[in-house]
Amino acid sequence: MDYILAGIQEAFVLLLSGDEEVYTAVFATLKVSSMSIFFTLVIGLPTGFLLGYTNFPGKNFVRSVVDALLALPTVVVGLWVYAFISSRGPLGNLNLLFTLPGVAIGEVVLALPIVIALSAQAIEELDLSVKDTLLTLGAAGRKLALDILWEGRYGMLMAAVTAYGRIISEVGVATMLGGNIKWRTRTITTAMAFETNKGQFAMGMALGFILLLIAFIVNGTLSFAKRRRQSR
Amino acid sequence: MSNMLYELKNIKRYYNGRCALSINHLAIEGGQIYALVGPNGSGKTTLLRILAFLDEPTMGEVFYNGSLVAPKMMPFLRREVTMLLQDSRLLTRKVKDNVAYGLKLRGMDPLSMKHRVNEALEMVGLSPKEFANRKWYELSGGEAQRVALASRLVLRPKVLLLDEPTANVDAVSESLINDAVVRAKEEWKTTIIVVSHNLLWLYSVADEVLTLWGGRIIQQGPENIIPGPWKKLETGLYCKTLRDGQKIFVSGEPSESKVISISPSEILLASHGEKSSARNVLRGFVTQMTYHNGDQVRVHVSVGDITLVAFLTKDAVMDLNLHPGMDIYVIFKASAAKWL
Repeated sequence: MDYILAGIQEAFVLLLSGDEEVYTAVFATLKVSSMSIFFTLVIGLPTGFLLGYTNFPGKNFVRSVVDALLALPTVVVGLWVYAFISSRGPLGNLNLLFTLPGVAIGEVVLALPIVIALSAQAIEELDLSVKDTLLTLGAAGRKLALDILWEGRYGMLMAAVTAYGRIISEVGVATMLGGNIKWRTRTITTAMAFETNKGQFAMGMALGFILLLIAFIVNGTLSFAKRRRQSR
Repeated sequence: MSNMLYELKNIKRYYNGRCALSINHLAIEGGQIYALVGPNGSGKTTLLRILAFLDEPTMGEVFYNGSLVAPKMMPFLRREVTMLLQDSRLLTRKVKDNVAYGLKLRGMDPLSMKHRVNEALEMVGLSPKEFANRKWYELSGGEAQRVALASRLVLRPKVLLLDEPTANVDAVSESLINDAVVRAKEEWKTTIIVVSHNLLWLYSVADEVLTLWGGRIIQQGPENIIPGPWKKLETGLYCKTLRDGQKIFVSGEPSESKVISISPSEILLASHGEKSSARNVLRGFVTQMTYHNGDQVRVHVSVGDITLVAFLTKDAVMDLNLHPGMDIYVIFKASAAKWL
């Protein structure tokens, strides 16, 4: 028990003293997760909206594929992206392996099905009643689509926050594509796994506290979005 | 001159191969209140959605204002025809923005819009000062439904379709919603087509009643609909006890819905309740009298907790010296009732 208490105590010292190693991992995490969520949302939200809003032949099949991709194991994503961006892969000349942008590609692949599936679902659920409400008030065409999108904003926010939660907490992609290189591609999760294995319990604890803080913020936002969505 | 607003010809609407609505001919005149009655699944909502231009019939023709409605016309027609859905939702914005939404789409200037929004809120009994800036989640169920109605009333629509507008609201909201609907007809000559569980209110305000059953209109015109419960008597008749203790007796075998209808033409009115060969002699009072088809008078009589409608000639009205508030006896045979 003592070593846990000592670890916690030392973790606070590391956090409060602004330990460079800890904060480098934190900033790398924030940088890679920001990149990942940006591209995930840019691609995922419009795709999810179109998937939820429009009807086309084979829509159910596409939905099933997207839903199936929700369960993608991180190491499988890591493996496939590795195959593409390693020096022998088709994107090898871009030198993305063991860089933060390389990690971001993997995380986009991981988070994209979440954003597409959840935002499509948010729009589909709205579609039943809100679309009719807007139609009865006289909305049509592009205005109708934009207002449905606006009415689905809390569902979209939930999709974004859930995806961010997945990105920030995953370890497989970050390890395989980032290589856990100190000062460069080491993120909170890879550092925690590595430092704990090394016996650097305090470092793991300190990074864990920061991850927990981020998780609380993410979940707080998620709860807010859920409450707003349910108060319709 | 004919004031025909809608005409439906040989309409059929199928859902997953099942025929939900089948109407050979239906004409709806402007400026009237139409009540749609019938059990669940009888096609009321399907008909409302077609009339609201939210849905198209699988086959058949819909004429509006004398023109055949084509799908591409529907968005434009929805600018003058609006519907309060059974599960109507408020938009996720402030009350005033909910009410102003339709006006903004129609390009109204902000000053006129504010005036109209306040007027509509007051019409449904919500103080603009208190409610205009509330968020959509800061309202009770009844208040939310009133805001939803105000969002339609503010448009001063030519046609207002209402699908169970008071199904899930408190008594105060119900009364305010019902009053606002009648006011829309009186002030703007809005045609109202309404489905409501509140048959007492419905029959007291409707100019015309369409009774649907299995997707078909089985009766058009005012009709007296009396729901159960019915108690079987040893004589084989069925009996319903009204709130004031009077009893209605009907013959026949109850249907699943346990609802009966009595045609107004089967009902006689008398100033004295002397012995009659008819099984039902009920005491009530006249609540409303209106002309019907020019030569007849429609008389609404409140009996216990229900309202019955009878048609009388003008001469009969004169002979009885009928007037609102007058005590009267309602007479009909037990066999006059049809189980729906």
